[in-house]
Amino acid sequence: MGFWEQLASNLVFGILLGSVYGLATMGLSLIFGVLRIVNVGHGAFLMIGAYAAFWLFTLFGLSPIASIFMALAVGLALGFITFYSVIKRLIGAPELSTLLATFGIGLFIEELAKLVWGPDYRGYSWDTPYISLGISAISFSKIYALLASIVIAFLLFMWFKKTKLGMAVRAVVEDKEGAMVCGIDVTRIYALSFALGIALTVASGVLITLFVPVGINPYMGGEYTLKAFVIAVLGGLTSPWGAFYAGFIFGLLENGSYTLLGLIPDVEPFSLTRFIAFTTLLIILLIKPTGLLGGEEM
Amino acid sequence: MLLKVEDVTKRFGGLVAVDSVSFEIKEGEAFGIVGPNGSGKTTLYNMISGVYQPDSGRIIFDGRDITDLPAHARAPLGIGRTFQIPRPFPSATVRENVAVGAMFGRAQADVKEAMEISDYYIELVGLSEQANKAAGTLTPLEKRLMELARALAMKPRLLLLDEVMAGMNPKDIGNIIELLQKVRQEEKIAVVAMVEHLMHAITKFAERVMVMHQGRKLLEGPTMEVLNDERVIEVYLGKKIREGAEGAEGHRT
Amino acid sequence: MRGVHTLLIIYAILLIVGLTVPGMWQPVAFLMFYVALGQAFNIFLGLTGYVDFGYVAFLALGSYGMAIAMDSLYQTGLGAAILPIGLLLAALMSIMLSLAVGAVALRLRGAYFAIATIGVNEGFRYLIEGARLWGGSEGIIITGAMRKIFGREMANFISTMVADVLVFGIGLLAALTTYVIIHKRMGYALMAIREDEDAARVMGINVTKYKIMAFITSAFFAGLIGASAWTLKMTYVFPSDVFLITYTVEAIVIVMLGGAGTLLGPVVGGITYGLLKYYLSVILPGFQLLILAPLLVAIVVAFPEGIVGYLKERVRGTRFEGYIL
Ligand SMILES: Nc1ncnc2c1ncn2[C@@H]1O[C@H](COP(=O)(O)OP(=O)(O)O)[C@@H](O)[C@H]1O
Ligand SMILES: [Mg+2]
Repeated sequence: MGFWEQLASNLVFGILLGSVYGLATMGLSLIFGVLRIVNVGHGAFLMIGAYAAFWLFTLFGLSPIASIFMALAVGLALGFITFYSVIKRLIGAPELSTLLATFGIGLFIEELAKLVWGPDYRGYSWDTPYISLGISAISFSKIYALLASIVIAFLLFMWFKKTKLGMAVRAVVEDKEGAMVCGIDVTRIYALSFALGIALTVASGVLITLFVPVGINPYMGGEYTLKAFVIAVLGGLTSPWGAFYAGFIFGLLENGSYTLLGLIPDVEPFSLTRFIAFTTLLIILLIKPTGLLGGEEM
Repeated sequence: MLLKVEDVTKRFGGLVAVDSVSFEIKEGEAFGIVGPNGSGKTTLYNMISGVYQPDSGRIIFDGRDITDLPAHARAPLGIGRTFQIPRPFPSATVRENVAVGAMFGRAQADVKEAMEISDYYIELVGLSEQANKAAGTLTPLEKRLMELARALAMKPRLLLLDEVMAGMNPKDIGNIIELLQKVRQEEKIAVVAMVEHLMHAITKFAERVMVMHQGRKLLEGPTMEVLNDERVIEVYLGKKIREGAEGAEGHRT
Repeated sequence: MRGVHTLLIIYAILLIVGLTVPGMWQPVAFLMFYVALGQAFNIFLGLTGYVDFGYVAFLALGSYGMAIAMDSLYQTGLGAAILPIGLLLAALMSIMLSLAVGAVALRLRGAYFAIATIGVNEGFRYLIEGARLWGGSEGIIITGAMRKIFGREMANFISTMVADVLVFGIGLLAALTTYVIIHKRMGYALMAIREDEDAARVMGINVTKYKIMAFITSAFFAGLIGASAWTLKMTYVFPSDVFLITYTVEAIVIVMLGGAGTLLGPVVGGITYGLLKYYLSVILPGFQLLILAPLLVAIVVAFPEGIVGYLKERVRGTRFEGYIL
């Protein structure tokens, strides 16, 4: 395959994967936007989603698309448990406390996963037809992932716009005291937003498995924590919608640069893309700390 | 002129918090800024002390354009302030809090000197008994006094007080005004006091006042003249303000 | 000064026990690593209230610094001088990284800074592996180089004894540095930054400058620890070992357990943690993080002031005040 074909097919791949990146980051941004808490343990929740997809598929033959619903339910439960056991006690505490606590929670989930499921890499293959795009063949499963991400993002958008609860969340973001005066139970809104953020993250973990066929393991999340932060900062950190768009941008950047790095002799492009993720983060923070796609100051 | 504020504007999203305001403060002057809640007074202070950059306009301090100077570079020039909602360093003692002002403000004292300066101003504001308490444990009133001492310990040439007398009884207010007049004369500090409602306190303290309304400067001039102006009375409850009258302040919240 | 006395007494006891009781040197050295790690990290996390999730990268770069010096200089005939050169290079490399990260990220607020640091260790590891830098994923082995430089006997002595003594000394130096900082203007500036960064700015404190100073100092000691406790002791550096997030977690737990920002905290935290880890590795080998992670969460939620922070509050106003710092 020539370079241009390679680049084009990697970019298509980037868009598909980028949609899942976007979904994976929406949860992070939602939690930060509402609670002002940076969930440093983000990737661990994504890993739970990946395992959910794996087990539901291998044990019950459930398709990953159906697993999304289970993942959302598991994510909500996990989110509420985490909120009421730890996060609630840290509201109003110094920022350092929540950073350390979410970091600890993430590690704990990873270690628990290792204890229960072992450290091995696992994977499954969901056979779907391929569609030829002229330059390369794309598995339908990845297109389903794109569609699922868009549908979930859209539903969330409508939920915020149209439902009473969604509006209450927005009210809390805009003016906490005001919302309290209006009779909104701010702690419950926090709990709900946190749980929803975790649910989105777990769901995105299901979709990630469609892109990493044998990459499911207890520590897979770290990489996505890093990527989610790059994407979140790119998208403005407090805005789930900014995050969703930024996911596509990052998917394109990552897979485009992968192709370019492949041209350099004597390097491992795969390892280098991860270095690039981290340097991109520093560069964005250097240029515009509040995010390139708008978003408010912290 | 110690301070020249020229045409400064600050927007928050669609809201114009301060709308092309200009005024000047002379060395050692007692200046008052009055205006209802939300009229842009605190935002004005934030721009003078460097917390916010104005969207347009210039701020000139002692002949030098400080508009683009970061906050930490303004304090050593002699700009000290207090906060409307006090912001002590809560787990440090009162003595340490005030000493920080002496170390990094215009005084630029070393640790030992700073402690001496700190003790002097703590005594001056009457907090000696609380000197070794953690600042976070003070009452709101004591926190205000601590912030005043901390700002004074910076040895400022311009002292910006944000509602420093709010919630005080008339006797405390009298004491504070006396204290402010004392430091003003002894240390040649220009003091700017900003209040929402304590009109009689301002009449006792300030030589000149500026009235703010919805981000704009409504009026500026000699205190009594300005405060009895029709437009100002309209902004404030329609009450006429008599010199030194107790209880002339409105108690809206 | 009394706070320093307490510190020196604890160090002296450790040293005497290690040197006089047969078989105790290794256990004491094991504890001293954690004490030193805590001391170094405390200068940043404890004094600024900022957290660096990629902290281990400083230890890693330090350990590379030493390995590179040994590996590239062993034929030059510089002899034993290579050891201090290695320490210097280690410190230099960590400081360079702290400048690069700090100059960008320390201009930002706490959360943004933490985000910026989260990928530093992994990013660097992938750079080394991906660009095949410094031996790539195979790392650098200096067992042979050390024998050529120092001779077999001496090389052995360096890994079994000198490396530990160095760690001991670095930890002590870091603690004394903390003591000096706390009592200087810099200490007051950092206190103000930790408590209220905006108010600190308005008081005239150049917050970025002081944060970077603390960051560099902390990175400097971390680099020296990596060079001694890892490279000199193990005589090799593998990227998969030295960039492990576990060390960052350990550093955080030690500082928080002992009491962030206190002088004695890292000593108390390091010894407590070291003992805990020793018994855990006997009971539950391979799963220390499983215990460590909830421990960290529990400390943060229920005991954020740490052991020394708690004691300090209790003795305030009694005649023991001042001994606990
Ligand atoms: N950081 C900010 N972000 C958004 N709006 C602000 C901010 N600070 C002040 N404002 C708005 O600017 C206006 C002026 O506020 P302020 O300067 O605090 O008035 P005052 O001190 O006279 O009560 C108010 O409408 C306030 O809500
Ligand atoms: Mg105000």
